[in-house]
Amino acid sequence: MTKKKKALEETATAEALTHPIAIETATPEDLKTLLEEIRGYDGVIGYIMRNATSATIDLKDPTKLIEYAILSSSALDAAEELSELFNLGNFENILVEGKDIKILSLKIGENRVSIFLDKKADIEKPLKNSTRFKGAFRA
Amino acid sequence: MEEDVYAIALQNALNEMRNTCPDIQHAFIFKETGEIIAGDAETPQKVMVRVLDAFNGIFNRAKAIGGIEAITLKCGGGTVALHSFGEHNLVMVTSATADLNYIKTLTRILIPTVLRLLEKISPTPLKNILVQQTPPTPTPTPTFSEPETMTVGEVLEGEVAEEPKEPIIEKPREEEIKAEVPSLEVPATQLIVENIGGLLVPSDTVRIDNETLTQWEEMFEGKKVEYVEIETFDGKTTKCKVKPIKDSKYLGKGVVQIPEKMQLTLEIKKGELVRVRPIIE
Repeated sequence: MTKKKKALEETATAEALTHPIAIETATPEDLKTLLEEIRGYDGVIGYIMRNATSATIDLKDPTKLIEYAILSSSALDAAEELSELFNLGNFENILVEGKDIKILSLKIGENRVSIFLDKKADIEKPLKNSTRFKGAFRA
Repeated sequence: MEEDVYAIALQNALNEMRNTCPDIQHAFIFKETGEIIAGDAETPQKVMVRVLDAFNGIFNRAKAIGGIEAITLKCGGGTVALHSFGEHNLVMVTSATADLNYIKTLTRILIPTVLRLLEKISPTPLKNILVQQTPPTPTPTPTFSEPETMTVGEVLEGEVAEEPKEPIIEKPREEEIKAEVPSLEVPATQLIVENIGGLLVPSDTVRIDNETLTQWEEMFEGKKVEYVEIETFDGKTTKCKVKPIKDSKYLGKGVVQIPEKMQLTLEIKKGELVRVRPIIE
């Protein structure tokens, strides 16, 4: 019994130690995995991840794919332009709140990521996890 | 910026907000047509136009998410926030140290309150501004005793001929104010300069939204608006012909399409703001 408990504790400690290391060596594949995880959060209806070579899209309602893709791209373009215009330094994220849907967009490394959520969904959890990942890509 | 009731009240509201929250570095309000109606003195018009330009792509596609309620851009050195209040949109740039929740609460209370008050006080601002700006004459005089000195306003009112010619009759103050209104003037509309594409573009004709032309014509009691005066923010003016915009992509965008040659003469270019005023001859 004691041995089993000790083994469990060791596993937990090992996981806690390995988790940040995994983030520090994050790849686009890891980012996809994270987005898949975020996709399962309450109120999240999909995401779009783009970089110079590929795009990954997962949306509940594929009929709005093009509209959402253009809108999220416009949001990221606006973010870059405005942060430069007002000398606001590093762009962190842009949140576009519509009457039905909201879009959280950010740049993670070379990837442009947009997460689509229901109007009343909480953005804190997806934002926190994405931001954590952002640091890993910088490192 | 036009000296109208809306602009002054909203300007004051913005100033109060900036006094309360010094972390607000820039603030201005624009309508969904792209017309900037109030803004702080420290933000040049060109910067405001660039901000509108940046948000334009988002607004154009916003139908997909049910229209825009708010946009928040967070950066290391500060935040840009846009709040939508019906047809009015407030843009604020705040420093990194700003208490965003406090500013959001203040904004969400103050601006809609001012807008609601303005709606109650002056529901049709464009048509009422001139009436409100004209100071009432303190001692009424019998203006109807000498028809040969009638003002334009009196002629348009069409009431004079039916009035009994009794010099001692004192007209109510309200009528007198109406009579003094220079009713062939409307406030200028601020529009964003856009190029005119295509061959054989007449160099003396600008194009604006048919909706704006219709509004002006309504104000002029159905008279056709064939000429406008374009005024730049540097004070340069020109009179030219006006026609409705043909290109559907510019409809409802608050733009004025100006031929390249005229842009050169006025020293303006695409994306800048100009004042456009109708001329009735």
